[in-house]
Amino acid sequence: MKRQVPLVLCFVFGIAMIFTQFSPHSFSQGIYEEVIRWALIIGPFALVLATVTLIQTHTARIRRRTEHWQYSFVVFAGLIVMVLIGIFLKPQNPMFEWLYNNVQLPMDATMFSLLAFFIASAAYRAFRARTFEASLLLITALIVMMGNVPVGDLLSNDTASKARQWILDNPNLSARRGIILGVSLGVISQSIRIILGIERSYLGGGD
Amino acid sequence: MPNIDRRIVFILVALAVIIPMLLSVNLPVSVSEPTQKFYDYVEALPAGSTIMIAFDYGPSSLAELNPMAKALLKQCFDRDIRVIAITLVVDAPTLANALIQEVAAEKEAVEGEDYVFLGFRPGPVQVILGMGIDIASVYDTDYNGTAISEIPMMQNITNYDQIDLLVDFASSDTIESWIIYANDRYNQQIAAGVTGVIIAQMFPYLQTGQLVGLLSGILGAAEYENLVGAPAKGMQWINVESFVHLLIVILVIIGNITYFIYRTREG
Repeated sequence: MKRQVPLVLCFVFGIAMIFTQFSPHSFSQGIYEEVIRWALIIGPFALVLATVTLIQTHTARIRRRTEHWQYSFVVFAGLIVMVLIGIFLKPQNPMFEWLYNNVQLPMDATMFSLLAFFIASAAYRAFRARTFEASLLLITALIVMMGNVPVGDLLSNDTASKARQWILDNPNLSARRGIILGVSLGVISQSIRIILGIERSYLGGGD
Repeated sequence: MPNIDRRIVFILVALAVIIPMLLSVNLPVSVSEPTQKFYDYVEALPAGSTIMIAFDYGPSSLAELNPMAKALLKQCFDRDIRVIAITLVVDAPTLANALIQEVAAEKEAVEGEDYVFLGFRPGPVQVILGMGIDIASVYDTDYNGTAISEIPMMQNITNYDQIDLLVDFASSDTIESWIIYANDRYNQQIAAGVTGVIIAQMFPYLQTGQLVGLLSGILGAAEYENLVGAPAKGMQWINVESFVHLLIVILVIIGNITYFIYRTREG
């Protein structure tokens, strides 16, 4: 029963939603709109689930004294302070905005900014013309990098940006389209498997 | 094989960022076709049109996406285009609200009449689909808690049918969700502004017309600021980025010369 009910629900709603995509009838569209309303209610539960998972993970880290377990207290402090201020004083409160602008924003931006340093170092070490494929990648990367900034055009008399655009519009576009088509076919196939109950891993238990 | 110490590379990158900022270098920026298409589409909208802007990025991508969002907001307020702002990203409301308030104050736009910020609702796909039926069913109040029914500019807006253009400023795959659910299902016209790292995956949608225009990273921001006639952070940072890119290219070339010399010597 524990497994049959979700399988039946998945099948019924899966088939019903497929039909709503092809039928403009008011009955079909009524079902579609009703299911979307339910989905809007169910959506926020993902946030609750994420919060519970975060608490469980960090509680386990503290209990087991895993490496850097002390930082889990920082996670809890941040979570509790922001959630309490957000719920009781609202996110528009100056205190919430101050914490966001002076703690979260600079930390987040700093983490991302560090990438520039590591990418520069990694590019210097990894971009070597060892093989034909590596050379191709290297030349493409250099053209796109120079075409992406005004100094490239200045040095190449506008050739860099044109070459970059050609790469993005032709080989890149063709490869991306192939990937999109492949992924889409995979999604359709997996969706059919889930709706028909062939794929059951979402139920848990490794079945 | 000999390699430059990574700490030297880090120092060089830091210098390539700091020196152009201090010297205020100004390199000429030409406008690419996707950016021009974006600008032309907005320019062609008559006064009184409505644009929905989705601020789908967090603080980590603020440097790239805030300048382009700012330039678009200026263009909208200058041309009497009404703006409905939303976000599908949980840590975006504060930064989006601050940016909108800043530009609105500069352009003397009136909240509730010229623009409204609806804030965040969880579940991106549900939100996108839900707004296709009725925006008020997803957002019953705006970010400040004012009921949608009490906001003057929302009186005649029910769903995507009354939205002339949707612009997604994004650092992740939210654009694909907008395209799949808002464009394909509801025929909503979409333009996008994205970070440099995801620009390559957007081009198929541009070619099919599912995106009417595209701004790519800080270059797109600089180009748009140029078109709008309001040079700001985008123009400043693209110059900085120029020097960092140039440095990386030089480092890669040095790395390869060293590699070939080493390989020749080793036989």
